[in-house]
Amino acid sequence: MNRLEELLKKAHQIASDPRAQLDAYLAQGKKVIACAPIYTPEELVHGMGMVPMGVWGADLELDHAKQFFPSFICSVMQSILEMGMRGGYEGISGIMIPSLCDSMKALGENWKYAVPTIPFTPADYPQNRKLEAGFLYTQAVYKRQIRQLEEIGGCRYSEETLRESNAIYSRHDQVMQKLSRLLADHPSITAAQRSDLFKSALFMRKEEHTELIEAFMGELCQVSERQKKLRIVTTGIQADQPGLLEIFDEGQLHIVADDVAQESRQYAVDMPELADPIAAAAKKFCDRDCCSVLYDHKKKRIAKLVETAKERRADGIVYIQTKFCDPEEFDYVPMKKACEEADIPLLMIEVDRQMTQFEQARTAISAFVEILRAGTLPSLG
Amino acid sequence: MAEGAKQLAAEQPPKKKRVIDPDSAAYKLGEITARNYEEVWEAKRNGEKIGWCSSNFPQELHRTLDIKVCYPENQAVAIAVRGGGVRGCTEAEELGYSNDICAYARISMAYARHPKAPEQDMPLPDFLLCCNNICNCMIKWYEDIARELDIPIIMIDIPFNHGYEADEEQIAYVGGQFRAAIEQLEEITGKKWDEKRFEEVCQITNRSSRAMLKAASFLQYQPAPLYGFDLFNHMGVLITALGAPGTPEALELLCREYEQLQKEGKSTFRAKEEHRIMYEGIACWPHLKFTSKSLISRGVNITATIYGIAVTHIYDDFDGMIASYFKIPGAMSLERSRDIRVQLCQEDHVEGLLVHTNRSCKLWSGFMPEMSRQIGQICDIPVASFDGDQADARNFSEAQYETRVDALVEIMAEKKGETA
Repeated sequence: MNRLEELLKKAHQIASDPRAQLDAYLAQGKKVIACAPIYTPEELVHGMGMVPMGVWGADLELDHAKQFFPSFICSVMQSILEMGMRGGYEGISGIMIPSLCDSMKALGENWKYAVPTIPFTPADYPQNRKLEAGFLYTQAVYKRQIRQLEEIGGCRYSEETLRESNAIYSRHDQVMQKLSRLLADHPSITAAQRSDLFKSALFMRKEEHTELIEAFMGELCQVSERQKKLRIVTTGIQADQPGLLEIFDEGQLHIVADDVAQESRQYAVDMPELADPIAAAAKKFCDRDCCSVLYDHKKKRIAKLVETAKERRADGIVYIQTKFCDPEEFDYVPMKKACEEADIPLLMIEVDRQMTQFEQARTAISAFVEILRAGTLPSLG
Repeated sequence: MAEGAKQLAAEQPPKKKRVIDPDSAAYKLGEITARNYEEVWEAKRNGEKIGWCSSNFPQELHRTLDIKVCYPENQAVAIAVRGGGVRGCTEAEELGYSNDICAYARISMAYARHPKAPEQDMPLPDFLLCCNNICNCMIKWYEDIARELDIPIIMIDIPFNHGYEADEEQIAYVGGQFRAAIEQLEEITGKKWDEKRFEEVCQITNRSSRAMLKAASFLQYQPAPLYGFDLFNHMGVLITALGAPGTPEALELLCREYEQLQKEGKSTFRAKEEHRIMYEGIACWPHLKFTSKSLISRGVNITATIYGIAVTHIYDDFDGMIASYFKIPGAMSLERSRDIRVQLCQEDHVEGLLVHTNRSCKLWSGFMPEMSRQIGQICDIPVASFDGDQADARNFSEAQYETRVDALVEIMAEKKGETA
């Protein structure tokens, strides 16, 4: 096994077994805070000496969560609650849940009663984040969260350590942006491997993940590419189902960029340089855009996605719709219109965390591949 | 059609067109709602800028500026009640919108593209007044229309309050947005803010709210002088005209009517009141008649609902006004939502809870099971739920509804020591 393969294997192990990662941190005596989707200010947790770990649901049968949620709530929220109720997050000291969509709000309320052993820290970030009042309110929310984290972790907030954590996160954001660009030139990296590289970030301290990705990029730069695949951009909330990634790889699809919330969307904004580290972290949130759960009446996400597809010379876009995620369902129609106008082929496939059969997705992706091959790579047809 | 409602329908004499007494509160409240649509049409014809407004956007802002708006949620209800909901939803689905999206939003997005509905027309907007204190779905819905019609949004974000009372920071954030919204509206319409006018609007709003709360309080009497479903019908006027001249007087007249009925031992509930329940959730508008008649046929009166009272606003000052917009059903924590309902159940002598699991509303339905459980336990009352939808008639089963209501009635009867 060469170094590149070793690093990919490590990313895969971490991405596919977050429990082992959690146990390892707990064994080191660290306190871990679960961070539900999306944009939880991990910097605050990190700056207080605790480990933020992403919780984005899991591929498991829903049972306990049905006592709390009706069937038409997205499987991301449902499976987070299910994991909590089954004891899957045992050892975690607290959970931060934002209120950026209606299902997230309901998750927070249900969590209090479904998993009372893990304290819930609400994260009601503002939607009117471009106003000065929104910026000030974000800081107020962060300060409230710091007080709650102090209680949970028995630790004290320090401006200095938050500044250091901001720098660590800033560097990680930049590395992940660089990774996305580099992977666009390396079709030999499969969709499943790409997913591991991004997903592992959720479960690692960011300085460790930065090290892993930088080492990986150092190796990948040495690889000369001969393969030619169809180039696609993915968009949606999540795109990590192994069954789905397998179909991408079978179809010889190369993900040259993503606008996936669990992947690149969270690294899209740089940390501004401000003297007060809380203000800097808050400004980072307020500068965010191009996301289905953030108010944006111009829907800049759509123009950006079309621009990215052109810039990365993508053959098509795959809209990975998480079932019952209404923010994404709303954005699909204008996205479709924009792609038609820009002459970019678009495929929408619906996924959820309970999917065991991917035949419908396989059929749709196969048909899409045929269309792309006929349109852009006739020699491969 | 399920048996109970069928039987009731068969027993009714042939329908005569109901004539409403022009001196009654129902007539006057209906007139106020109709006048709002007329005023918006007239403003549009006169070249004024008009808006579409979400139901719990702070009406003090546009009313002070004398800006005319209409309400897509009310329009969607009018369309759904009159049988056009599925048509609107289907039109949206043909455009590519998922049938998982809120049915009000689907009907409205379809109307924005093809503005013709025989059930209820309204003019297309020049701007949108959006407030997410009922749900974040509202944001996505208005973003869509803003993009489609290329018009601005005036956005008020009320953060969901996982705690109990709005804190200073939340009030300051929303206050900042109110000021920005006023500036934006002045710029769009050319109209100017007037403090004196604002005070008048606030006074009317408070007076209307007090009258509405008093009207709803008549549900405490046993038997109640009104059928709780009546309050559903007054939502329209509360949304469109809480701060409008004439509304307090009409609602105060409603109170006097209920008072008179109570004194005379009469009621708008046209059956013997055998059971008293709380109805939880948005009305199942496309099946309003069926859901209502099924209850009447079993002697079940709705004596508690947050309808009506949910949109009242009582406050003393500017910050108090802001805080009142945090006390909207879609912006409150489970604990606060539960406590309000528990208080209603206790004051109104409720014996059972009937819950509408509304397919359109992820937020309201999202923590409803736990909240209902807690209400049932605290009040020691049985809870039954049914699946339905606020505007998409396809998501409702008459048979399931009747079965669930029967089960609820049976348990309530057992608890009273009666035979089912």
